[in-house]
Amino acid sequence: MNLDKTTDINIIVNKKRYSITVDNRTTLLMLLREKLDLTGAKRGCDRGECGSCTVLLDSKSVNSCQVLACSIDGKEILTLEGISEKGELSFLQKSFVRNDGTQCGYCAPGFIMSAYSLLQTNYSPSEEQIKDSISGNLCRCNSYHTILEAIKLASKQSSDE
Amino acid sequence: MNDMVSKNRSIGNSVIRADILEKVTGKALYTADLKFSDLLHARIVRSPHPHANIISVDLSCAWNLSGVVDVLTPFNVPEGKVAPDLPILDTRVRFVGDEVAVVVAENELVAKEAINTIDVEYQILGFSVDIHQALSSGAIPIHAGGNLINGSALVESRGDVEQGFAKADIVLEESFTTPDHHPAALEPRAATAFWDGKLLRVYKTSRGIHADRSAISSALGLQLEQVEVIAPHLGGGFGSKDETRLAVLASVASMRSQKPVKIELDREEEFLAGRRRHSTQTKAKIGITHSGDITGIDVETIMDTGAYLSSGPGVVRRAGQAALYLYECPNVRYKGSLVYTNTPAAGSYRALGAPQGHFALESLIDRAANAIEMDPLDFRLKNHVSPKGQQGERVTPIGNIVDTQPVEGGIPFSSNCLRECLMTGSKMINWYDRDKYEYSTKKGAKIGVGMSMFVYRGGPGGKSSAVIDALDDGNYAVSLGVMDVGEGALTVLSQIAADSLEIGIDAIQIVVGNTSLTPKAPITAGSTVTFSTGKAIISAAHTLREQMTLKAAAYLRVPASDLKFDGTRFFCGKKTVSVRDLVLDNGGKISVSKTIEPGSTEHVINSFGAHFVKLRVDETIGSVEILKYVAVHDSGTIINPTLAQGQVRGGISQMLGYTFTEDMIIDKSTGIVLNANYLDHKSPTIRDIPKIDVVFVGENDPDGPYGAKSLGEPPSIGPAPAIANALYNATGKTYPNLPITMDRIIEGS
Repeated sequence: MNLDKTTDINIIVNKKRYSITVDNRTTLLMLLREKLDLTGAKRGCDRGECGSCTVLLDSKSVNSCQVLACSIDGKEILTLEGISEKGELSFLQKSFVRNDGTQCGYCAPGFIMSAYSLLQTNYSPSEEQIKDSISGNLCRCNSYHTILEAIKLASKQSSDE
Repeated sequence: MNDMVSKNRSIGNSVIRADILEKVTGKALYTADLKFSDLLHARIVRSPHPHANIISVDLSCAWNLSGVVDVLTPFNVPEGKVAPDLPILDTRVRFVGDEVAVVVAENELVAKEAINTIDVEYQILGFSVDIHQALSSGAIPIHAGGNLINGSALVESRGDVEQGFAKADIVLEESFTTPDHHPAALEPRAATAFWDGKLLRVYKTSRGIHADRSAISSALGLQLEQVEVIAPHLGGGFGSKDETRLAVLASVASMRSQKPVKIELDREEEFLAGRRRHSTQTKAKIGITHSGDITGIDVETIMDTGAYLSSGPGVVRRAGQAALYLYECPNVRYKGSLVYTNTPAAGSYRALGAPQGHFALESLIDRAANAIEMDPLDFRLKNHVSPKGQQGERVTPIGNIVDTQPVEGGIPFSSNCLRECLMTGSKMINWYDRDKYEYSTKKGAKIGVGMSMFVYRGGPGGKSSAVIDALDDGNYAVSLGVMDVGEGALTVLSQIAADSLEIGIDAIQIVVGNTSLTPKAPITAGSTVTFSTGKAIISAAHTLREQMTLKAAAYLRVPASDLKFDGTRFFCGKKTVSVRDLVLDNGGKISVSKTIEPGSTEHVINSFGAHFVKLRVDETIGSVEILKYVAVHDSGTIINPTLAQGQVRGGISQMLGYTFTEDMIIDKSTGIVLNANYLDHKSPTIRDIPKIDVVFVGENDPDGPYGAKSLGEPPSIGPAPAIANALYNATGKTYPNLPITMDRIIEGS
C-alpha cells in the first residue's frame, strides 16, 4: 500500500463547498474534526459501534468513522453544526434542551443527527421507528428516556407544522 | 435560615441544565476537541504479555519512519511515580495492555504506524489472572509487598458475630461472584500537555483537576505552581477517569520536545488502560430466628484490583457498608481483601463497592425470608435500620465529625426515610400480589417480582471551598475546584448559589475546570459534590451578603438591619443602591472565599432507597423482559427534579448492563481481554431500557445544603439484587453470579 497516496475531493459540508486533498487513510470523521474544525461529531470508538460520530452523507445517516474521506467526492455532508438555521436552534435541538436529552453531552451529536435523519423523511414516526433510528447510538449516561421523549416532542412539533 | 428557605426561587425547580445549549449545538468542547498549533501526536506501545520484564527496546525501525519525533521508553523517562505503585514508565509490565513506550510523531497516522515497528525484548514472568492464582504459594509478586494488599484483609465488626450465630435458629450461607465491569465512558481518555519552559499546562479528561495537578507535579518533580491543569467538558467517567499516567506521559514528551503533545486513547485502549469495576468473590452468612430477627451477619469479600491499586482501599471498604449498616443487627463482621492480578487495573466506578456488597447481602436476605416463610418485604420492614441508627456505643469522640460509613452504633441518622421507600415502592408494584402471577402467564414464561434496598454515604466529602465574586456588571462569579462530570453539578450548584445569595440564577457564572482559577477541591467523587461544595457555596454566599449589606449600609448611611434586598438593589425607604454600584464603589469586585469541613458531629449522614422489579422470564430461551421498575429514593431535598430523575434512570439503566451482559472476559491462558469493545462488552441501548418509575420520598435533611443528600451513585446499587430476587421469585432458582446471562438463565443458576 502506498501510504503517501492522496486524493483530491470536492465536497459540500454544511452547505459550504470545499476542495481538499486528503490522505487516503483519513476517515470522514478525521477530516471533519481535524481539517474542517467541525468537532461536533465525536470519536467514541472508531469502529462503527457507538454512533457518536453520526453525520448525514447525501441525507443518509452514517458513522463517519467508517467512511473513507477519499470515497466521498461530490457528496454532501451535514453535521450537527449545520442544522441550526441562522443561529436559531432546530426544533429537534430545542426539544433536547427542554427534555434534558443529554447528560455528559458526548453522545448528543450522534443521537441528534440520527433523529434528524429520521425526521427529514418521516414527519410523524411511531415510537418504534424512533427507537430504530437511534438503536445504533450508545449513551453511557443512559439518558435514553429523555432522548426518546425529546425526539417524540420534536416529531410531534414537526408534524403539527 | 428559615426565612431564606421561604425565599427559594430556584431549588426544587427543574432549571435547564447549565451547559445543554453548548452540548446540543456541538459547541461544547471536550479534551480531544481542543486545537493547538504545532501539535505533536503520541501513541502508546502496549504489552502483549500479562507479566514481563522489559530487557530492551529497539527503536531503529521507528526512527526510519519520517515524522517520528521522539520515543519515550522506561529507560529514558524520569523516575517519578504517578501513584505509589505506578511509575511514569516501568521496566516491568503487569497486564496485557500495560504501557511500554510512547511514540511521538508529527501526525497520528505516523505515530500509529510507528508503534508497530518497535521491537521490545521481554523476559516473560509467571502470571496470575485471577485472585486464587495470585494468592497461591507459587505466585510471583506483582508488586513488592506481595499480591494481597497490606498483607491482610480489612476487618470491621460490631458486637460478636459468633455469639450472634449461636443465638440463631437458622444460619444460612451463600457464595456470590460479580464480574470485571467497565464503565466504558463514550469519551476515551485524552491529554494534551504543553511545557513552555516555565509552566506545564495540561489539558485532560478529568474529574479532579486539583488532585491531578498534585499527582502530575509530584511525578515530574515540579513545584505545584509550575503545573496548571485544565479540564474541558468530560464525556462521561462514572468515577473511572482518575488515572494520570497518560497526562504525565504527554507532559514528559512535551518537556522533551518543547511542543504541545496530545495522546488520545482508542476504544480498546480505554477498555484496557481505563479503570474497571472490581470483580468480587463473596461469602455471606446470616443468622436468623424463626420469628424473623437477625442475630448475626458475616460477609467476606475478595476483590480483584488488577495490576494497580488505584482507589482499591476505598472500594473494598465501601463494599462492607451493606453488611455493617443496612439491617439492625448487634453482631456484624465484614472482612474485605484486595488482591493484585495481572489484569487491567480496577478503580472507582459509580458507587464503588456498594453494588457488589448489596448484591450479596440483598440476595441472601431473600433466602433468609424464604427459610422462615416470611415475605421478604415484611422481613425488611421488620429489620431495616431505623432513623435511630444501629444499637451500641458511640466510639467517635463527642465533637468529632462522624464517618458517613461508620461501624459503631449509638449515633442517629440525620434523616432516614428507608421505611417510606419500602412502603411507597411496594404499593406502586402491588407487592403482595406477587405470588398470584405464576398462574396467569403464557406457556414457558414466568412472572416474578423482587426488590432490594440500600444505604450509601450521604454526601460529606473532604474540605470543600467556594469563592464568590460580586462583579461590576451585577453578576456573580462562583469559582469551584470540583468538576461537572455530566451529572449536572454546575446546574445544581448554580441553583444553590442563586438561592443562598437570594438572586436570580441568570446572574450566576460558575467557574470550573482550571486549577489557576479555582480553589483547591477534592475530586468529583463519592456523590459528595452537591452536599459538600453546596455547603461551601452557602457559607461563602452568606458571608458575601453580610459584607455587602454592611457596605450598603455605610454607603446609604442607614442601619444595616433596616436594609432590604430585591435581588439587584439594597433599599431603605427611598434610599437605594444597586449591587453594581456597590461593587464599583469597592474597586470593581467584592470577593469572599470559604473553606468548610462538611459533615456532622452528631449524625450519620446517609442516603437510602428501595428498588422494585416485575419481570417475565422465559427459561427455555433465557430471555428476561422487565415489565415494571419502581425506584424510590431518599436523597433529602431534591434540588432539580429533572436532573435527579436523569441520575436515577441513568444509574439503573447503566446497571442493567452489569446485571445481564457486561463482563470483561479475560482469557485464562494468555491474560488477554477478549471483548475490549462495545459489541462484545455489550452495553444497553434504547432497545434494552424499560420504563422506570422514579419517586423521591426524602425529607429535608437537617445537615444537607437546603436539605439535600447524595444521589449520583445510589441508583446503581439497587438493580442487580432486585432483578436477581425477582428471578428467584419467578423460578425458585438462585442467581448468585453476575452477569445473569441468557446462558445462566437457561442453565438455571
